[in-house]
Amino acid sequence: MLLMFVMSSLFLIALAIGQDPISEHMKSALLWVVIMFSAAIGLGRSFVAEEERGTVLLLQLNVRGSQVLAGKLVFNFILLLAVDLVGLGMFTFLLSMQVENLPLMLTVLTLGSVGIAGATTLLSAIIARASNKGPLLPVLLFPMLIPLLLSVVRGASQALEGGLGWSGAEIELTTMAAFAGVVLSASFLLFEYVWTD
Amino acid sequence: MMVNVKRYTLVRNLVFGWITVVLLAGFLLNFPKINILEQTARNLYFHVPMWFSMMAAAFVSGYHSLKVLQTADPLRDIRALQAARIGTFFGLLGLTTGIVWSRFTWYVGTDVWWNFDPRQIMVTIQLLIYGGYFVLRSAFDEPLKRAKISAVFNLFAMTALPFLLYVIPRQMQSLHPGAEGNPAFSQITHPVMRLVFYPAIIGFIGLFWVLYTQRVRVAWLKYRVTQDSEM
Repeated sequence: MLLMFVMSSLFLIALAIGQDPISEHMKSALLWVVIMFSAAIGLGRSFVAEEERGTVLLLQLNVRGSQVLAGKLVFNFILLLAVDLVGLGMFTFLLSMQVENLPLMLTVLTLGSVGIAGATTLLSAIIARASNKGPLLPVLLFPMLIPLLLSVVRGASQALEGGLGWSGAEIELTTMAAFAGVVLSASFLLFEYVWTD
Repeated sequence: MMVNVKRYTLVRNLVFGWITVVLLAGFLLNFPKINILEQTARNLYFHVPMWFSMMAAAFVSGYHSLKVLQTADPLRDIRALQAARIGTFFGLLGLTTGIVWSRFTWYVGTDVWWNFDPRQIMVTIQLLIYGGYFVLRSAFDEPLKRAKISAVFNLFAMTALPFLLYVIPRQMQSLHPGAEGNPAFSQITHPVMRLVFYPAIIGFIGLFWVLYTQRVRVAWLKYRVTQDSEM
């Protein structure tokens, strides 16, 4: 379902742009906007589904909270990686986008996805506790992701342009790694308070 | 919650007197002409201290959110919420004064209202996060659950702070002093201006304290009557 969302939204963007050439920075910005929207739409269900099926109590009794969080994190991360690859492939196909530095692009996508997965997983656990959920996740998620967004967009456009190679995205890569580290540690510290009553 | 009423009134009146003097001095005291800025440099006395007040509010709110998780005390939740509200108020004031200042000083003759200044982005993110915090609170029915979960979100959102303070300013251009290519604050500020500026910071943080304590007292009374925390 999530991959269909990615594909249809990318197709929408490609049709909206048409055949006009757009800059590398613009392509990278559009790609990341799609990835972040699909994270907000697709990953918000991870804990809500447990509440609805009534499996929360079972997990609370049998498994430690940090293990539940780790499981959800890994699953969300893999899902996001799939979104990244589909997005990259579709952009290359539809907008005839050329990735000059593929290893850098993959690193940027992976590191960015760790950060997004970290922020989204704890927030979706928060949402699952709320009584009226509505479009709560994007409201909470997007302000937090802005520092990451600035770095990943620059990093990805560096990878599209090639030119400077790895050194061109040095600051961006460190920022992404730092963001992922901070968000993951905060998630593990705070998760117990959300998970247990 | 016990307060020494006499001492509280004394400190409050001291803050009011202090901030009146600062405002008068800010408008009346003359200083040498500065290029580009000229008389708009007076905004320094108001725009920057508002920012200090917002940061103070953010830290007070974060501290009490941490205490909510440790103690589950409803008073701590009230303190975290009221500090966040006052912080939003000062953030809006600081953002508005900053936008108006840049529009009619650096961008005069252009159509630029919004500029992508790191500090401007930072305040906007902080305001969006508090917007999310208030929305999240309204999604809960039980006071205790609301207190705990919104405290978790407040602390989790604070992890973005080091990036906003240290990383983004290095990636983008800024109109603020101390940024790349701009002179440091001490080089462009005349001693006469500092005479008003430093007291203004103290005055505005004092103003934050007065507003915050007043609101906490009202909210605490309301809580004792209704046994339900505010959204």
